[in-house]
Amino acid sequence: MSPIFLQRLFRLFVLLVFQVLIFNQVHLLGYITPLVIGYMMVCFHRGTSRVDILLWGFIIGLIYDVFSNTAGMASASCTLIAMIQPSLLKIFTPRDAAENFTPTFQTLGFWSYVLYVLILMAVLHGTFYLLDAFTLVNWQLTLLSIAGGSVLSTLLIIFIELFVRPRK
Amino acid sequence: MRALFDLLIKNKHWFLFLLLEVISLVFLFSYNGYQKSVYFTTANDVVGSTYNVISGITSYLHLKEENHALEACNERLRQKVVEMQQRLAAAQLDSVKRIDVLPQEFNLVNAQVVNMTLHKANNLITINKGEADGIQPEMGVVCSRGVVGIVYMTSRHYSIVMPLLNVNSKVSCRLRKSEYFGSLIWKRGHADISYATSIPRHAKVQKKDIVETNGFSDIFPPGIPIGYVQGIDDSSDGMSYLLRVKLFANFATLREVSVITNYQSPERHFLEEQAENPAKQDSVLNAQEKQKTLEEEKRKAEEQEKAAKEKEEKEKEELEKIKTELERQHAEAVAAQSANKNTENTDTVR
Repeated sequence: MSPIFLQRLFRLFVLLVFQVLIFNQVHLLGYITPLVIGYMMVCFHRGTSRVDILLWGFIIGLIYDVFSNTAGMASASCTLIAMIQPSLLKIFTPRDAAENFTPTFQTLGFWSYVLYVLILMAVLHGTFYLLDAFTLVNWQLTLLSIAGGSVLSTLLIIFIELFVRPRK
Repeated sequence: MRALFDLLIKNKHWFLFLLLEVISLVFLFSYNGYQKSVYFTTANDVVGSTYNVISGITSYLHLKEENHALEACNERLRQKVVEMQQRLAAAQLDSVKRIDVLPQEFNLVNAQVVNMTLHKANNLITINKGEADGIQPEMGVVCSRGVVGIVYMTSRHYSIVMPLLNVNSKVSCRLRKSEYFGSLIWKRGHADISYATSIPRHAKVQKKDIVETNGFSDIFPPGIPIGYVQGIDDSSDGMSYLLRVKLFANFATLREVSVITNYQSPERHFLEEQAENPAKQDSVLNAQEKQKTLEEEKRKAEEQEKAAKEKEEKEKEELEKIKTELERQHAEAVAAQSANKNTENTDTVR
Protein backbone atom coordinates (compact mmCIF):
# COMPACT_ATOMS: atom_id res chain seq x y z
CA MET A 1 0.00 0.00 0.00
CA SER A 2 1.95 2.94 -1.27
CA PRO A 3 0.89 6.33 0.01
CA ILE A 4 0.01 7.37 -3.53
CA PHE A 5 -2.41 4.46 -3.79
CA LEU A 6 -4.03 5.37 -0.49
CA GLN A 7 -4.29 8.96 -1.61
CA ARG A 8 -6.04 7.84 -4.81
CA LEU A 9 -8.35 5.54 -2.85
CA PHE A 10 -9.25 8.41 -0.52
CA ARG A 11 -9.86 10.72 -3.46
CA LEU A 12 -12.04 8.10 -5.11
CA PHE A 13 -14.10 7.66 -2.00
CA VAL A 14 -14.58 11.37 -1.38
CA LEU A 15 -15.43 12.10 -5.01
CA LEU A 16 -17.98 9.27 -5.10
CA VAL A 17 -19.62 10.39 -1.88
CA PHE A 18 -19.96 13.97 -3.11
CA GLN A 19 -21.03 12.92 -6.55
CA VAL A 20 -23.68 10.46 -5.47
CA LEU A 21 -25.03 12.35 -2.48
CA ILE A 22 -24.85 15.93 -3.73
CA PHE A 23 -24.09 16.45 -7.40
CA ASN A 24 -26.44 13.75 -8.61
CA GLN A 25 -29.30 15.77 -7.08
CA VAL A 26 -28.34 18.82 -9.09
CA HIS A 27 -30.45 19.23 -12.22
CA LEU A 28 -29.70 22.71 -13.39
CA LEU A 29 -32.36 23.87 -15.88
CA GLY A 30 -33.77 20.38 -15.50
CA TYR A 31 -31.03 18.68 -17.48
CA ILE A 32 -27.54 19.74 -16.40
CA THR A 33 -25.90 17.38 -13.92
CA PRO A 34 -22.14 17.70 -13.28
CA LEU A 35 -19.93 14.62 -13.16
CA VAL A 36 -17.12 15.58 -10.83
CA ILE A 37 -15.86 11.99 -10.69
CA GLY A 38 -13.91 13.05 -13.79
CA TYR A 39 -11.61 14.91 -11.44
CA MET A 40 -10.12 11.51 -10.59
CA MET A 41 -8.59 11.28 -14.06
CA VAL A 42 -7.62 14.93 -14.18
CA CYS A 43 -5.23 14.52 -11.27
CA PHE A 44 -2.99 11.72 -12.57
CA HIS A 45 0.57 12.98 -12.82
CA ARG A 46 2.75 12.57 -15.83
CA GLY A 47 4.34 9.13 -16.19
CA THR A 48 1.57 7.25 -14.41
CA SER A 49 1.08 3.81 -15.94
CA ARG A 50 -1.73 3.95 -18.50
CA VAL A 51 -2.99 0.63 -17.20
CA ASP A 52 -3.32 2.20 -13.72
CA ILE A 53 -5.24 5.15 -15.04
CA LEU A 54 -7.55 2.90 -17.08
CA LEU A 55 -8.29 0.65 -14.10
CA TRP A 56 -8.91 3.59 -11.77
CA GLY A 57 -11.17 5.23 -14.32
CA PHE A 58 -13.11 2.03 -14.95
CA ILE A 59 -13.53 1.34 -11.24
CA ILE A 60 -14.74 4.81 -10.31
CA GLY A 61 -17.13 4.76 -13.24
CA LEU A 62 -18.39 1.32 -12.31
CA ILE A 63 -19.00 2.26 -8.66
CA TYR A 64 -20.74 5.43 -9.75
CA ASP A 65 -22.93 3.35 -12.09
CA VAL A 66 -23.86 1.01 -9.29
CA PHE A 67 -25.00 3.91 -7.11
CA SER A 68 -26.78 5.93 -9.73
CA ASN A 69 -28.34 3.10 -11.75
CA THR A 70 -26.64 4.01 -15.01
CA ALA A 71 -25.04 0.62 -15.72
CA GLY A 72 -22.12 0.92 -18.13
CA MET A 73 -22.49 4.59 -19.00
CA ALA A 74 -20.09 6.19 -16.52
CA SER A 75 -17.62 3.30 -16.66
CA ALA A 76 -17.42 3.59 -20.44
CA SER A 77 -17.00 7.39 -20.30
CA CYS A 78 -14.44 7.34 -17.49
CA THR A 79 -12.44 4.61 -19.23
CA LEU A 80 -12.42 6.75 -22.35
CA ILE A 81 -11.06 9.87 -20.62
CA ALA A 82 -8.60 7.70 -18.72
CA MET A 83 -7.37 6.58 -22.13
CA ILE A 84 -6.93 10.06 -23.56
CA GLN A 85 -5.69 11.79 -20.39
CA PRO A 86 -1.97 10.97 -20.78
CA SER A 87 -1.93 12.05 -24.43
CA LEU A 88 -3.81 15.23 -23.63
CA LEU A 89 -1.52 16.00 -20.75
CA LYS A 90 1.45 15.54 -23.06
CA ILE A 91 0.08 18.28 -25.32
CA PHE A 92 -0.31 20.72 -22.44
CA THR A 93 2.96 19.84 -20.76
CA PRO A 94 5.44 22.76 -20.77
CA ARG A 95 8.84 21.99 -22.17
CA ASP A 96 10.64 22.46 -18.90
CA ALA A 97 8.23 20.45 -16.80
CA ALA A 98 9.40 17.83 -14.37
CA GLU A 99 9.27 14.13 -15.24
CA ASN A 100 6.41 13.42 -12.84
CA PHE A 101 4.62 16.73 -12.62
CA THR A 102 0.99 16.90 -11.64
CA PRO A 103 -1.38 19.04 -13.68
CA THR A 104 -2.35 22.08 -11.56
CA PHE A 105 -2.78 25.81 -12.05
CA GLN A 106 0.78 26.29 -11.03
CA THR A 107 2.33 23.75 -13.37
CA LEU A 108 0.16 24.34 -16.44
CA GLY A 109 -0.94 27.91 -16.11
CA PHE A 110 -4.53 28.95 -15.41
CA TRP A 111 -5.99 28.97 -18.93
CA SER A 112 -4.13 25.89 -20.07
CA TYR A 113 -5.36 24.04 -17.03
CA VAL A 114 -8.95 25.22 -17.59
CA LEU A 115 -8.76 24.14 -21.23
CA TYR A 116 -7.26 20.79 -20.25
CA VAL A 117 -10.01 20.15 -17.72
CA LEU A 118 -12.71 21.42 -20.08
CA ILE A 119 -11.65 19.05 -22.87
CA LEU A 120 -11.62 16.06 -20.52
CA MET A 121 -14.99 17.05 -19.08
CA ALA A 122 -16.45 17.56 -22.56
CA VAL A 123 -15.36 14.08 -23.60
CA LEU A 124 -16.67 12.61 -20.33
CA HIS A 125 -20.06 14.31 -20.51
CA GLY A 126 -20.33 13.80 -24.25
CA THR A 127 -19.84 10.07 -23.95
CA PHE A 128 -22.01 9.81 -20.86
CA TYR A 129 -24.99 11.71 -22.20
CA LEU A 130 -24.80 10.20 -25.65
CA LEU A 131 -24.86 6.73 -24.14
CA ASP A 132 -27.67 7.87 -21.90
CA ALA A 133 -29.79 9.28 -24.68
CA PHE A 134 -28.65 6.68 -27.24
CA THR A 135 -30.39 8.62 -29.96
CA LEU A 136 -29.97 11.90 -31.78
CA VAL A 137 -33.67 12.63 -31.88
CA ASN A 138 -33.56 15.21 -29.08
CA TRP A 139 -30.07 16.34 -29.93
CA GLN A 140 -30.64 19.89 -28.64
CA LEU A 141 -31.34 18.60 -25.15
CA THR A 142 -28.40 16.20 -25.30
CA LEU A 143 -26.14 19.01 -26.44
CA LEU A 144 -27.41 21.24 -23.65
CA SER A 145 -26.71 18.52 -21.09
CA ILE A 146 -23.24 17.91 -22.48
CA ALA A 147 -22.22 21.56 -22.71
CA GLY A 148 -23.80 22.59 -19.41
CA GLY A 149 -22.43 19.57 -17.56
CA SER A 150 -18.94 20.10 -18.95
CA VAL A 151 -18.87 23.77 -17.99
CA LEU A 152 -20.38 23.17 -14.56
CA SER A 153 -18.00 20.30 -13.82
CA THR A 154 -15.04 22.39 -14.96
CA LEU A 155 -16.12 25.20 -12.65
CA LEU A 156 -16.49 22.77 -9.76
CA ILE A 157 -13.07 21.26 -10.43
CA ILE A 158 -11.53 24.72 -10.54
CA PHE A 159 -13.24 25.45 -7.26
CA ILE A 160 -11.86 22.22 -5.73
CA GLU A 161 -8.45 22.94 -7.17
CA LEU A 162 -8.40 26.49 -5.79
CA PHE A 163 -9.93 26.02 -2.38
CA VAL A 164 -10.11 22.38 -1.34
CA ARG A 165 -6.98 20.65 -2.53
CA PRO A 166 -4.18 20.79 0.03
CA ARG A 167 -1.30 22.90 -1.19
CA LYS A 168 2.14 21.48 -1.02
CA MET B 1 7.26 -14.03 -32.18
CA ARG B 2 9.17 -12.03 -29.65
CA ALA B 3 8.49 -8.90 -31.62
CA LEU B 4 4.83 -9.73 -31.50
CA PHE B 5 4.92 -10.16 -27.74
CA ASP B 6 6.79 -6.87 -27.46
CA LEU B 7 4.13 -5.21 -29.55
CA LEU B 8 1.41 -6.70 -27.40
CA ILE B 9 3.08 -5.63 -24.16
CA LYS B 10 3.79 -2.20 -25.51
CA ASN B 11 0.19 -1.68 -26.45
CA LYS B 12 -1.32 -3.46 -23.51
CA HIS B 13 -3.16 -0.34 -22.43
CA TRP B 14 -5.05 -0.39 -25.74
CA PHE B 15 -6.22 -3.93 -25.17
CA LEU B 16 -7.14 -3.10 -21.60
CA PHE B 17 -9.01 -0.06 -22.83
CA LEU B 18 -10.94 -2.10 -25.35
CA LEU B 19 -11.67 -4.77 -22.76
CA LEU B 20 -12.95 -2.27 -20.23
CA GLU B 21 -15.06 -0.49 -22.81
CA VAL B 22 -16.52 -3.78 -23.94
CA ILE B 23 -17.35 -4.67 -20.35
CA SER B 24 -18.97 -1.25 -19.90
CA LEU B 25 -21.02 -1.67 -23.02
CA VAL B 26 -22.05 -5.16 -21.97
CA PHE B 27 -23.30 -3.66 -18.73
CA LEU B 28 -24.94 -0.86 -20.63
CA PHE B 29 -26.85 -3.17 -22.93
CA SER B 30 -27.60 -5.79 -20.30
CA TYR B 31 -29.03 -3.59 -17.60
CA ASN B 32 -30.64 -0.72 -19.50
CA GLY B 33 -33.87 -1.75 -21.20
CA TYR B 34 -33.98 1.25 -23.48
CA GLN B 35 -30.42 1.00 -24.77
CA LYS B 36 -30.88 -2.73 -25.10
CA SER B 37 -33.96 -2.37 -27.25
CA VAL B 38 -32.35 0.31 -29.39
CA TYR B 39 -29.22 -1.82 -29.71
CA PHE B 40 -31.14 -4.89 -30.75
CA THR B 41 -33.35 -3.02 -33.17
CA THR B 42 -30.37 -1.34 -34.76
CA ALA B 43 -28.38 -4.55 -34.72
CA ASN B 44 -31.23 -6.39 -36.37
CA ASP B 45 -31.49 -3.69 -38.99
CA VAL B 46 -27.79 -3.82 -39.63
CA VAL B 47 -27.71 -7.60 -39.72
CA GLY B 48 -30.79 -7.67 -41.90
CA SER B 49 -29.43 -5.23 -44.44
CA THR B 50 -26.09 -7.02 -44.39
CA TYR B 51 -27.76 -10.31 -45.12
CA ASN B 52 -29.75 -8.58 -47.82
CA VAL B 53 -26.59 -7.37 -49.52
CA ILE B 54 -24.96 -10.78 -49.12
CA SER B 55 -27.95 -12.65 -50.48
CA GLY B 56 -28.18 -10.15 -53.32
CA ILE B 57 -24.65 -11.08 -54.27
CA THR B 58 -24.84 -14.81 -53.65
CA SER B 59 -28.15 -15.17 -55.48
CA TYR B 60 -26.25 -14.61 -58.72
CA LEU B 61 -24.02 -17.53 -57.90
CA HIS B 62 -26.99 -19.89 -57.75
CA LEU B 63 -28.65 -18.62 -60.90
CA LYS B 64 -27.68 -21.67 -62.90
CA GLU B 65 -29.24 -24.16 -60.51
CA GLU B 66 -32.22 -21.89 -60.16
CA ASN B 67 -32.67 -21.82 -63.91
CA HIS B 68 -32.51 -25.56 -64.11
CA ALA B 69 -35.08 -25.91 -61.39
CA LEU B 70 -37.33 -23.36 -63.06
CA GLU B 71 -37.01 -25.10 -66.37
CA ALA B 72 -37.95 -28.41 -64.81
CA CYS B 73 -40.86 -26.72 -63.10
CA ASN B 74 -41.94 -25.14 -66.38
CA GLU B 75 -41.80 -28.48 -68.10
CA ARG B 76 -43.93 -30.03 -65.39
CA LEU B 77 -46.45 -27.23 -65.59
CA ARG B 78 -46.59 -27.41 -69.35
CA GLN B 79 -47.37 -31.09 -69.15
CA LYS B 80 -50.01 -30.34 -66.60
CA VAL B 81 -51.55 -27.70 -68.86
CA VAL B 82 -51.76 -30.19 -71.71
CA GLU B 83 -53.26 -32.76 -69.39
CA MET B 84 -55.76 -30.24 -68.06
CA GLN B 85 -56.70 -29.13 -71.55
CA GLN B 86 -57.38 -32.72 -72.48
CA ARG B 87 -59.46 -33.18 -69.38
CA LEU B 88 -61.32 -29.97 -70.03
CA ALA B 89 -62.05 -31.02 -73.59
CA ALA B 90 -63.29 -34.37 -72.33
CA ALA B 91 -65.46 -32.63 -69.76
CA GLN B 92 -66.94 -30.32 -72.34
CA LEU B 93 -68.10 -33.25 -74.41
CA ASP B 94 -70.52 -33.83 -71.62
CA SER B 95 -73.52 -32.00 -72.93
CA VAL B 96 -75.26 -31.77 -69.56
CA LYS B 97 -72.92 -29.13 -68.34
CA ARG B 98 -73.68 -26.89 -71.25
CA ILE B 99 -77.45 -27.07 -71.16
CA ASP B 100 -77.96 -24.16 -68.87
CA VAL B 101 -81.48 -23.46 -70.12
CA LEU B 102 -82.70 -26.63 -68.44
CA PRO B 103 -83.68 -26.41 -64.80
CA GLN B 104 -81.82 -28.65 -62.43
CA GLU B 105 -84.67 -30.97 -61.65
CA PHE B 106 -84.64 -32.75 -64.99
CA ASN B 107 -82.85 -36.03 -65.20
CA LEU B 108 -80.75 -36.20 -68.28
CA VAL B 109 -79.36 -39.34 -69.79
CA ASN B 110 -76.37 -38.61 -71.92
CA ALA B 111 -76.08 -40.52 -75.12
CA GLN B 112 -74.00 -40.51 -78.23
CA VAL B 113 -75.27 -40.44 -81.75
CA VAL B 114 -74.23 -43.65 -83.46
CA ASN B 115 -76.06 -43.29 -86.72
CA MET B 116 -78.08 -40.66 -88.49
CA THR B 117 -79.39 -39.58 -91.85
CA LEU B 118 -79.88 -36.00 -92.93
CA HIS B 119 -81.16 -35.98 -96.46
CA LYS B 120 -84.10 -38.33 -96.49
CA ALA B 121 -87.68 -37.33 -95.87
CA ASN B 122 -87.77 -39.43 -92.73
CA ASN B 123 -84.46 -38.82 -91.14
CA LEU B 124 -83.77 -40.78 -87.99
CA ILE B 125 -81.03 -40.71 -85.41
CA THR B 126 -79.80 -43.73 -83.53
CA ILE B 127 -78.39 -43.17 -80.07
CA ASN B 128 -76.56 -45.63 -77.87
CA LYS B 129 -78.87 -45.60 -74.86
CA GLY B 130 -82.09 -47.49 -74.55
CA GLU B 131 -84.65 -48.89 -72.14
CA ALA B 132 -81.91 -50.14 -69.88
CA ASP B 133 -81.01 -46.52 -69.24
CA GLY B 134 -84.59 -45.47 -68.59
CA ILE B 135 -85.39 -44.17 -72.05
CA GLN B 136 -88.94 -44.55 -73.28
CA PRO B 137 -90.59 -43.46 -76.50
CA GLU B 138 -91.74 -39.85 -76.68
CA MET B 139 -89.05 -38.50 -74.48
CA GLY B 140 -87.41 -35.25 -75.53
CA VAL B 141 -83.88 -35.20 -76.85
CA VAL B 142 -81.76 -32.09 -76.56
CA CYS B 143 -78.19 -31.14 -77.22
CA SER B 144 -76.13 -28.34 -75.79
CA ARG B 145 -77.46 -25.86 -78.33
CA GLY B 146 -81.10 -26.77 -78.26
CA VAL B 147 -83.78 -29.25 -79.19
CA VAL B 148 -82.81 -32.29 -81.27
CA GLY B 149 -85.93 -34.39 -81.50
CA ILE B 150 -88.14 -36.96 -79.84
CA VAL B 151 -87.46 -40.60 -79.00
CA TYR B 152 -89.42 -42.71 -81.45
CA MET B 153 -88.58 -46.30 -80.68
CA THR B 154 -86.46 -47.97 -78.08
CA SER B 155 -84.69 -51.26 -77.73
CA ARG B 156 -82.75 -52.48 -74.75
CA HIS B 157 -79.60 -50.47 -75.45
CA TYR B 158 -80.44 -48.28 -78.41
CA SER B 159 -83.07 -45.75 -79.27
CA ILE B 160 -84.27 -44.25 -82.49
CA VAL B 161 -84.84 -40.54 -82.31
CA MET B 162 -87.07 -38.67 -84.69
CA PRO B 163 -85.19 -35.43 -85.15
CA LEU B 164 -86.69 -32.10 -86.05
CA LEU B 165 -85.45 -32.95 -89.53
CA ASN B 166 -88.27 -35.34 -90.26
CA VAL B 167 -91.37 -34.57 -92.24
CA ASN B 168 -93.46 -36.30 -89.59
CA SER B 169 -91.97 -34.33 -86.76
CA LYS B 170 -94.17 -31.73 -85.20
CA VAL B 171 -93.06 -29.86 -82.14
CA SER B 172 -95.06 -27.11 -80.52
CA CYS B 173 -93.04 -23.96 -80.21
CA ARG B 174 -93.37 -20.31 -79.34
CA LEU B 175 -91.62 -17.03 -79.92
CA ARG B 176 -89.59 -16.15 -76.90
CA LYS B 177 -90.37 -12.43 -77.00
CA SER B 178 -94.07 -12.38 -77.72
CA GLU B 179 -94.99 -15.91 -76.61
CA TYR B 180 -97.18 -16.53 -79.65
CA PHE B 181 -97.13 -20.22 -80.27
CA GLY B 182 -97.24 -22.44 -83.28
CA SER B 183 -95.81 -25.72 -84.35
CA LEU B 184 -92.57 -26.56 -85.95
CA ILE B 185 -92.46 -28.73 -89.03
CA TRP B 186 -89.79 -29.66 -91.47
CA LYS B 187 -89.80 -29.67 -95.24
CA ARG B 188 -87.28 -31.67 -97.13
CA GLY B 189 -84.26 -29.78 -98.19
CA HIS B 190 -82.04 -27.92 -95.81
CA ALA B 191 -80.71 -29.76 -92.85
CA ASP B 192 -80.70 -26.64 -90.68
CA ILE B 193 -84.01 -25.00 -91.51
CA SER B 194 -87.45 -25.76 -90.08
CA TYR B 195 -90.72 -23.90 -90.41
CA ALA B 196 -92.94 -22.61 -87.70
CA THR B 197 -96.56 -22.67 -88.77
CA SER B 198 -99.79 -21.39 -87.23
CA ILE B 199 -98.23 -18.22 -85.91
CA PRO B 200 -101.20 -15.81 -85.99
CA ARG B 201 -101.11 -12.87 -88.34
CA HIS B 202 -101.36 -10.32 -85.61
CA ALA B 203 -98.23 -11.61 -83.89
CA LYS B 204 -95.33 -9.23 -84.01
CA VAL B 205 -92.49 -11.16 -85.49
CA GLN B 206 -89.03 -9.91 -86.17
CA LYS B 207 -86.07 -11.58 -87.72
CA LYS B 208 -83.66 -13.07 -85.18
CA ASP B 209 -86.48 -13.69 -82.72
CA ILE B 210 -85.74 -16.82 -80.81
CA VAL B 211 -88.04 -19.79 -81.17
CA GLU B 212 -88.25 -22.10 -78.15
CA THR B 213 -90.35 -24.94 -76.82
CA ASN B 214 -93.59 -23.85 -75.24
CA GLY B 215 -94.20 -26.68 -72.81
CA PHE B 216 -97.60 -27.63 -74.19
CA SER B 217 -96.45 -31.11 -74.91
CA ASP B 218 -95.25 -33.36 -72.18
CA ILE B 219 -92.08 -33.96 -74.08
CA PHE B 220 -90.10 -30.79 -73.61
CA PRO B 221 -90.17 -28.38 -70.70
CA PRO B 222 -90.86 -24.81 -71.81
CA GLY B 223 -88.04 -22.50 -72.80
CA ILE B 224 -85.57 -24.78 -74.52
CA PRO B 225 -84.23 -22.93 -77.54
CA ILE B 226 -84.92 -24.38 -80.96
CA GLY B 227 -83.69 -21.77 -83.39
CA TYR B 228 -84.19 -18.22 -84.54
CA VAL B 229 -86.41 -16.61 -87.15
CA GLN B 230 -84.58 -16.25 -90.40
CA GLY B 231 -87.39 -15.30 -92.71
CA ILE B 232 -91.07 -14.36 -92.45
CA ASP B 233 -93.52 -15.66 -95.03
CA ASP B 234 -97.21 -16.15 -95.28
CA SER B 235 -98.70 -19.58 -95.07
CA SER B 236 -100.42 -20.97 -98.12
CA ASP B 237 -103.90 -20.23 -96.78
CA GLY B 238 -102.85 -16.73 -95.86
CA MET B 239 -104.24 -17.07 -92.32
CA SER B 240 -100.98 -17.27 -90.50
CA TYR B 241 -97.30 -16.72 -90.77
CA LEU B 242 -94.87 -19.31 -91.95
CA LEU B 243 -91.58 -18.58 -90.26
CA ARG B 244 -88.34 -19.90 -91.59
CA VAL B 245 -86.45 -21.02 -88.49
CA LYS B 246 -82.73 -21.53 -88.52
CA LEU B 247 -82.13 -24.36 -86.05
CA PHE B 248 -79.57 -23.96 -83.29
CA ALA B 249 -78.69 -27.64 -83.21
CA ASN B 250 -76.11 -28.47 -85.81
CA PHE B 251 -77.22 -31.87 -86.99
CA ALA B 252 -74.29 -32.32 -89.32
CA THR B 253 -71.88 -32.45 -86.40
CA LEU B 254 -74.17 -33.77 -83.70
CA ARG B 255 -72.42 -36.24 -81.41
CA GLU B 256 -73.58 -35.76 -77.87
CA VAL B 257 -77.24 -35.59 -76.95
CA SER B 258 -79.20 -35.81 -73.73
CA VAL B 259 -82.57 -37.43 -73.20
CA ILE B 260 -84.93 -35.82 -70.69
CA THR B 261 -86.26 -38.82 -68.79
CA ASN B 262 -88.45 -37.42 -66.05
CA TYR B 263 -90.56 -34.77 -67.68
CA GLN B 264 -93.28 -37.04 -68.91
CA SER B 265 -96.29 -37.27 -66.67
CA PRO B 266 -97.99 -40.67 -67.09
CA GLU B 267 -101.26 -39.36 -65.75
CA ARG B 268 -101.42 -36.56 -68.26
CA HIS B 269 -100.31 -38.88 -70.95
CA PHE B 270 -103.04 -41.32 -70.13
CA LEU B 271 -105.65 -38.61 -69.97
CA GLU B 272 -104.66 -37.14 -73.29
CA GLU B 273 -104.56 -40.51 -74.88
CA GLN B 274 -108.03 -41.22 -73.60
CA ALA B 275 -109.33 -37.92 -74.86
CA GLU B 276 -107.71 -38.10 -78.24
CA ASN B 277 -108.21 -41.72 -79.13
CA PRO B 278 -111.88 -42.56 -79.76
CA ALA B 279 -110.87 -45.83 -81.38
CA LYS B 280 -110.44 -47.33 -77.98
CA GLN B 281 -114.04 -46.50 -77.14
CA ASP B 282 -113.02 -45.66 -73.67
CA SER B 283 -114.08 -42.32 -72.40
CA VAL B 284 -112.51 -40.77 -69.39
CA LEU B 285 -115.78 -41.41 -67.64
CA ASN B 286 -115.66 -45.03 -68.61
CA ALA B 287 -112.17 -45.21 -67.34
CA GLN B 288 -113.27 -43.75 -64.08
CA GLU B 289 -116.15 -46.14 -63.86
CA LYS B 290 -113.89 -48.95 -64.73
CA GLN B 291 -111.60 -47.90 -62.03
CA LYS B 292 -114.52 -47.73 -59.63
CA THR B 293 -115.68 -51.21 -60.49
CA LEU B 294 -112.14 -52.38 -60.23
CA GLU B 295 -111.87 -50.89 -56.79
CA GLU B 296 -115.16 -52.46 -55.82
CA GLU B 297 -114.01 -55.79 -57.04
CA LYS B 298 -110.89 -55.39 -55.15
CA ARG B 299 -112.84 -54.49 -52.04
CA LYS B 300 -115.08 -57.52 -52.53
CA ALA B 301 -112.15 -59.78 -52.99
CA GLU B 302 -110.64 -58.39 -49.86
CA GLU B 303 -113.85 -58.99 -47.95
CA GLN B 304 -114.04 -62.49 -49.25
CA GLU B 305 -110.56 -63.10 -48.22
CA LYS B 306 -111.32 -61.74 -44.80
CA ALA B 307 -114.39 -63.94 -44.46
CA ALA B 308 -112.43 -66.95 -45.55
CA LYS B 309 -109.81 -66.16 -43.00
CA GLU B 310 -112.38 -65.80 -40.25
CA LYS B 311 -114.00 -69.03 -41.28
CA GLU B 312 -110.73 -70.78 -41.21
CA GLU B 313 -110.04 -69.48 -37.77
CA LYS B 314 -113.44 -70.55 -36.53
CA GLU B 315 -112.90 -74.02 -37.91
CA LYS B 316 -109.59 -74.13 -36.25
CA GLU B 317 -111.12 -73.13 -32.96
CA GLU B 318 -113.84 -75.73 -33.27
CA LEU B 319 -111.31 -78.33 -34.14
CA GLU B 320 -109.41 -77.43 -31.05
CA LYS B 321 -112.55 -77.60 -28.95
CA ILE B 322 -113.42 -81.03 -30.29
CA LYS B 323 -109.94 -82.14 -29.67
CA THR B 324 -109.97 -81.06 -26.04
CA GLU B 325 -113.42 -82.59 -25.61
CA LEU B 326 -112.21 -85.87 -27.02
CA GLU B 327 -109.21 -85.83 -24.77
CA ARG B 328 -111.42 -85.19 -21.78
CA GLN B 329 -113.77 -88.00 -22.76
CA HIS B 330 -110.86 -90.27 -23.30
CA ALA B 331 -109.44 -89.47 -19.87
CA GLU B 332 -112.83 -90.02 -18.29
CA ALA B 333 -113.20 -93.31 -20.08
CA VAL B 334 -109.79 -94.39 -18.87
CA ALA B 335 -110.65 -93.39 -15.32
CA ALA B 336 -113.98 -95.21 -15.51
CA GLN B 337 -112.31 -98.28 -16.87
CA SER B 338 -109.78 -98.42 -14.07
CA ALA B 339 -112.57 -97.90 -11.53
CA ASN B 340 -114.48 -100.77 -13.09
CA LYS B 341 -111.43 -102.93 -12.88
CA ASN B 342 -111.06 -102.17 -9.20
CA THR B 343 -114.65 -103.06 -8.54
CA GLU B 344 -114.19 -106.19 -10.56
CA ASN B 345 -111.15 -107.04 -8.48
CA THR B 346 -112.99 -106.46 -5.31
CA ASP B 347 -115.72 -108.56 -6.66
CA THR B 348 -113.40 -111.43 -7.30
CA VAL B 349 -111.87 -111.06 -3.88
CA ARG B 350 -115.26 -111.14 -2.49
